[in-house]
Amino acid sequence: FLQFFCAMDEDEGKVYTWETEYERSWETLQEDAEGHLQTTAEEEAYKAKRRRLFDRPRNVQLGMMRHVFLVLDGSRAMADKDLRPDRLTCAARVIEKFLLEFFDHNPISQLGTIVTRNGRAEKLNELTGNPHVHTKALQSLTSSSGDPSLQNALEMAVRGLRHVPHHASKEVIVVLGSLTSCDPGNIFSTIDDLCQQSVRCSIIGLAAEVHLCKTICQRTNGTYNVILDETHFRDLLLQHCRPPPAKATIEASLIKMGFPQHVMNGPPAVCLCHLSDRSADYITSSGYFCPQCNSKYCELPVECKVCGLTLVLAPHLARSHHHLFPLTSYEETQLTDMIVCSGCQVQVERKAYKCPSCDSMFCIDCDLFIHETLHVCPGCASTVKHHH
Amino acid sequence: ICLRDRDCISATRLDIDGLPVLFPYDYVYPEQYAYMLELKRTLDAQGHCVLEMPSGTGKTVSLVSLIVAYMTVHPNKLEKLIYCSRTVQEINKVMEELKRLMEWLERANGHAPPLTGLALSARKNLCVHPEVSREEEGKKLDGQCYKLTASFVRERHQADPSTPVCLFYEEFDSLGRKAASPLPPGVYDLDDLKSYGKQKGWCPYFLARYMLQQANIVVYNYSYLLDPKVAELVSKEFSKKSVVVFDEAHNIDNVCVEAMSVNISRRTLEAAQTGIDTLGRRVREIGEEQLREEYRRLVENLKQARRNRETDVHMASPVLPDDVLQETMPGNIRRAEHFLSFLKRLTEYLKLRLSVQRVVAETPSYFLHHIQQTVCIERKPLRFCTERLQSLLHSLEFIELRDFSSLNLVANFATIVSTYTKGFSLIIEPFDERSSTNYNPVLHLSCNDSTIACKPIFTRFQSVVLTSGTLSPLDMYPKLLAFQPVTLQSFSITLAKPCVCPLVVSRGNDQVAITSRYESRADTAVTRNYGNLLADLSAIVPDGIACFFPSYEYMETTVSSWVEQGIMTRVQRNKLVFIETRDRGEISLALDNYFKACDTGRGAVLLGIARGKVSEGVDFVHQYGRAVIMFGIPYVYTQSRILKARLEYLRDQFQIRENDFLTFDAMRHAAQRYGRLDKRSKLPLWIQEHLKESLCSLTTEEAVQVCKKFLRDMAQPSTKEEQVGVSMLTEEQVETRERLRLSMDFS
Repeated sequence: FLQFFCAMDEDEGKVYTWETEYERSWETLQEDAEGHLQTTAEEEAYKAKRRRLFDRPRNVQLGMMRHVFLVLDGSRAMADKDLRPDRLTCAARVIEKFLLEFFDHNPISQLGTIVTRNGRAEKLNELTGNPHVHTKALQSLTSSSGDPSLQNALEMAVRGLRHVPHHASKEVIVVLGSLTSCDPGNIFSTIDDLCQQSVRCSIIGLAAEVHLCKTICQRTNGTYNVILDETHFRDLLLQHCRPPPAKATIEASLIKMGFPQHVMNGPPAVCLCHLSDRSADYITSSGYFCPQCNSKYCELPVECKVCGLTLVLAPHLARSHHHLFPLTSYEETQLTDMIVCSGCQVQVERKAYKCPSCDSMFCIDCDLFIHETLHVCPGCASTVKHHH
Repeated sequence: ICLRDRDCISATRLDIDGLPVLFPYDYVYPEQYAYMLELKRTLDAQGHCVLEMPSGTGKTVSLVSLIVAYMTVHPNKLEKLIYCSRTVQEINKVMEELKRLMEWLERANGHAPPLTGLALSARKNLCVHPEVSREEEGKKLDGQCYKLTASFVRERHQADPSTPVCLFYEEFDSLGRKAASPLPPGVYDLDDLKSYGKQKGWCPYFLARYMLQQANIVVYNYSYLLDPKVAELVSKEFSKKSVVVFDEAHNIDNVCVEAMSVNISRRTLEAAQTGIDTLGRRVREIGEEQLREEYRRLVENLKQARRNRETDVHMASPVLPDDVLQETMPGNIRRAEHFLSFLKRLTEYLKLRLSVQRVVAETPSYFLHHIQQTVCIERKPLRFCTERLQSLLHSLEFIELRDFSSLNLVANFATIVSTYTKGFSLIIEPFDERSSTNYNPVLHLSCNDSTIACKPIFTRFQSVVLTSGTLSPLDMYPKLLAFQPVTLQSFSITLAKPCVCPLVVSRGNDQVAITSRYESRADTAVTRNYGNLLADLSAIVPDGIACFFPSYEYMETTVSSWVEQGIMTRVQRNKLVFIETRDRGEISLALDNYFKACDTGRGAVLLGIARGKVSEGVDFVHQYGRAVIMFGIPYVYTQSRILKARLEYLRDQFQIRENDFLTFDAMRHAAQRYGRLDKRSKLPLWIQEHLKESLCSLTTEEAVQVCKKFLRDMAQPSTKEEQVGVSMLTEEQVETRERLRLSMDFS
């Protein structure tokens, strides 16, 4: 059902049966003690999701201001068709989603992109706060060739992160399809460099576990995951939207930010984001104006191109709130008889999830939805006690 | 294989059939528990056993913790643990587990158990002499040590202090041997011994050898027990109430056979000739007096050996059979010059025999008859050759013993050929076994009977445990080694998720059957399909892939046709390729770089031989062997005459059919590197279990798909909670399981 759902909202999900890979779908079927048939993969996915949600440490300082380099493998291995239509296109698509989500969750963060192929690393975009720049660059990536070089890519990322202010958290996220890395020198010295600069490096493998990647992630406190399919890939990448715990050495500091007002009926003008497009369509009368230099933008958050001030809206900051104060996790309870989920009114048997403060019961779908998207318990919010 | 890693914060107390055992980890695997039960049963019955359990499941720790517990509880039933291992790394691993166990025992009981455990290895790994230890080659180092520590050198030193001796040895000899306990109780690995030796100024090697007799736990190499020449020196005075453990015992019969076999080539004979000449010169130099003294000592020594054997203090050495001791040294080799001319005649005769143009195979008795007919050498003096040569070398005070290694070989040959009429065969091959144009005659005296070398061990020691990851079929070992086992047991591995994925690929993508059968080896379609399999797998398997061919010839032809077909370039695009050669130096260089390529993420393919140096004794763990490809079953080279002789002997003596043995032998090699089809019942249980019907006879493409999925699944993190209860048991879980089992038995 989950996979079906995903296929629905992807338009390209149309693949003929004979085009799909040779698979043994019957092997994932398992009969449990009571004779219920269920696919183990689905069960696993749920379990993993719950684990991820509830493994979050509480009351930790988070590095909310992030500087991230996203490294995309552009090597021969990315032409493999085990993701549809091929790994590169699929990865680009997933990354686009991730970028939007990322800037949504981390309004005061910056991200740059690097692609590695033919044994070299190329910088697609410098660190910026605008997801559209990246999207455009990613769309231009069509061909994949040669071997990737982890060392070159990481070194380029380290160079880019070297001058980032001390209070920001530095991260590299690598999406790697290849199983080899063609490096010019000793990659272990690069890893040492990463550790020294306290750059956290996380890798998402598209094929299998590579020992070197595991070492890199372990040494730099990153995470290493290998995808099972596209859905899993998206899950794994979206996990990186959540800000990582800050290093103990980072001191808290104040950052200057601007909160521009939305002006509806101003003089018609081109906004700075679309200045280079030279199209008449972008001459509008509404927009956000930087409180410091009064330049116009049509979308936020953004870093002012003129004066460099970070421009955000109050709701952006509020959105990060749930990272710091996440909703308490629900307790898994075994059911003896059927109940109705307090979220979606669907009948639930066997397992339900109980909110510890309002005792409402939810099905697993609602549980995940509440914790991933809502961040507020509907049971608690609707009780009288809470309103007072 | 993905090994289960465990971080440990406590020890588990187990009750193994009434015996309290402290297990130094948080959890015990179910198969470890079963393993300990069987072991306990064997020890109780004071018999021998064969236990198979996959590598990586903690055989060592189960063995050690049970036996130590047994020794503590029943000190008068079991006094000593002799743990035989193959390599220094393995020895260190055992010592590590042992140390860990002792630490936990100390924490649990408040005091360390009064046991001494030590490791013994060659001088190369133990020497602390500042100059000698710099030598890298083991044999040279032994020679240098001998130069400083031989008894006559030390005597000379007393007369003339300028003669160099080893201070560490002197110090140990004067103080260490007299001390009540030179080594306080505890566990000492090689490094500990070295640092202890340095601190005290004692030679660690001789200290360890001296302490072997008193220590409760001894960990050393196979050859210290199996090779009769070495065992005579090191292990002969061990208590009967000992348990001997042979770890990685799947090759034990070959080790036994090799220990008793001698190969003599023309080069050996030439070197022996030089040795005789050197001896002759020395004999002429020194006086009559010293030689007479030498002879007297010789007789005395033999008497001593006889007395010892009567009181059963020593383990019987198969090279020095009982009747040699009973008889006196025959007159015609008593005097040094006579003995030398005797040796000369023997060498000349062997040279004559080696100049043949066709293969000769005969029995030892015929050889003895022939030698008497031709050069009038009788059986009796031949038997005393080894002893006589030893005593002569000693009394002539030769320092460079290496110069006489070939002569020693000839003497050994003489002793063995004249002592045993059964179980041996003599083969002279004029040409190299496999390239029939290279004239290089070799005389093989090959032992066909693995019981000869190991019989003394089975009769002398109370319990002998053979254990390894791959011993199937288990009942072959008792037959080959002629002993009566108490238990034969194979254990499987219980895992929360399957970590082994054996596949059998029998067809290529073009549906041509792929086989390494001799007749279809040259078929290009077959080699191409093999190549495609490798190329496809190299694209989807991370890090290292180890591939094994049945023989060098096959590998060479296959690889060269792969180069022609362009398959090699496809493989090289994904990974670096390393090929095993016959040169030792090249192999170790290739292996080093292979490991490096795996570490740095470049990825590598190693093409090796199923019976080559690479596959024996090199661990392809974790990233070093994510996949193992066997190109065909590694049957031994059946045309070999030595093998044929052995097969015949096995058939006549033990009623083991040739084919059974060949399959057994091939399977143990394949199993060492995993996987294969129709003889599935002969694979160890832990591979069989995962070799599902659906995974046999796949095409290349199907295999690649299965691999992809497996590798993805394996990369998913596994949590401890999933494993506890399934593959890891806590104290309570063991108890409940035990209760369940008992109640089931009862009902």
